[in-house]
Amino acid sequence: MNWPVITDNWLFFLIGAWPQGPLGGLVQTSLLALGGGALATVLGLAGGLALWAGWGGALLRWGCEFLRAIPVLLLMFWCYFLLPIVFGLDVPGTWTVIVALGLVSGAYLAYAVQAGLHAVPRGQWEAAQASGMRRGQILRWIVLPQALRIIRPSWLNQWVTLVKDTSLAYIVGVADFTFVANQVNSREQVYALEIFLFIGLVYWALCASLQWCGERYGRIAARD
Amino acid sequence: MKKTIALAVSLALFSGAVWADKLDEIKKAGVLRVAAFDSNPPFGFVDPQTRQPAGLDVDVAQALAKKLGVKLELQATNPANRIPLLTANKVDLVAANFTITEERRKQVEFSVPYFATGQKFIAKKGVLKKPDDIKALRVGVDKGTTQEALLREKYPQTPVVAYDDTPLAFTALRNGNVQAITQDDAKLLALLANAPDKAKYEISPFALTREYQGIGLPRGEERLAKFVNATLQELEKTGQAKQIYDRWFGPKTKAPLPRDFKIGDPT
Repeated sequence: MNWPVITDNWLFFLIGAWPQGPLGGLVQTSLLALGGGALATVLGLAGGLALWAGWGGALLRWGCEFLRAIPVLLLMFWCYFLLPIVFGLDVPGTWTVIVALGLVSGAYLAYAVQAGLHAVPRGQWEAAQASGMRRGQILRWIVLPQALRIIRPSWLNQWVTLVKDTSLAYIVGVADFTFVANQVNSREQVYALEIFLFIGLVYWALCASLQWCGERYGRIAARD
Repeated sequence: MKKTIALAVSLALFSGAVWADKLDEIKKAGVLRVAAFDSNPPFGFVDPQTRQPAGLDVDVAQALAKKLGVKLELQATNPANRIPLLTANKVDLVAANFTITEERRKQVEFSVPYFATGQKFIAKKGVLKKPDDIKALRVGVDKGTTQEALLREKYPQTPVVAYDDTPLAFTALRNGNVQAITQDDAKLLALLANAPDKAKYEISPFALTREYQGIGLPRGEERLAKFVNATLQELEKTGQAKQIYDRWFGPKTKAPLPRDFKIGDPT
């Protein structure tokens, strides 16, 4: 094993060619995950509520089903290479990745949110109505918190998947963590084992800490 | 993926989008956007010290930007993305060991050639003596290259395994997933020079083809094409082209390769 191949290139693994070149590496991966995760959360909540309440009708259902049924990789590829050709729209690579991850994960989350809302017992509504709360208040203070607690495991699943899916950014040339690792591997040629073992460990650490935070938050929320 | 690219390309042909003159656009923006390899030393790779792209193609791109008096902005590419990057107007030029072919000319334009190679193979010593030996082997190629196309056409019975780039294919060869890999001689020479176990392998004594590499341009940009051609010829005249060549393939480099092609030579 030749670990200097990791330590000698630590800065490149962390930030890529930045600041002379585009941002890359682990920092880029984190930003892609945060951006995609934030967008997925907003879309998932809004979409789930709409699906549950029956707003948006068939259009929303088709949209969610479409997004759930196509590979993220292809969505990125289409946005990046086809939008400029067909509509003259130029979307930068980083945004393509964030939007594609946000849309697809958002669609998955929307179904989870819908299921969570359905899972809250009917009696909760009736009890809240009996104590004089309005529909919006019941949703905000009584039903949604319980629904979110129910779907926490699948929510966490989706975020972990999203973190790992950031590595698909290579298709549009965004220098995420896996991409810069590949660049180092191509130059050094013979240390593939060390390099890919290292990035595997880093992804594991990222996702494990995300899970740990999720579990911890879940325990705190359960105590309240 | 191939289907997607074909779809992208056919859409590009149908839409017939008309852009303003590219050369003026580049000057106005003050930036020349060039797609170069990031994983193919010595044509395009990431320099470990500066963490920036470097290589022969990068030097040529730099010379073009300098002549224009604009900033160079490099976009990393793999072989398969070179044409979509041009047709989707994500870059102005492609300088990525881009072999000139009639098939590709249907979608993109090429400058005069600035590099020439032949398609060769790397295999364990003694495995490949004549072209017919290829028939008995599993061969690794780079996805979307002319080498892949030629191998599939000329040796349809040979199992071909396509990899994202040459170093990955070489790893597969080393691990025994394939028994030979094919690329152009210049790249194979550099690849072998960097390998710690190079004594076990050799480059085939024969070449299947003679190929020429040019700068890839969007179609219908005559002024841009004229500028690129004139600049390349000027690089040859002033000796800069030789300087760039010697920096990556000269006698003092790890993989010396005599220069047998000058810009402007008949092809």
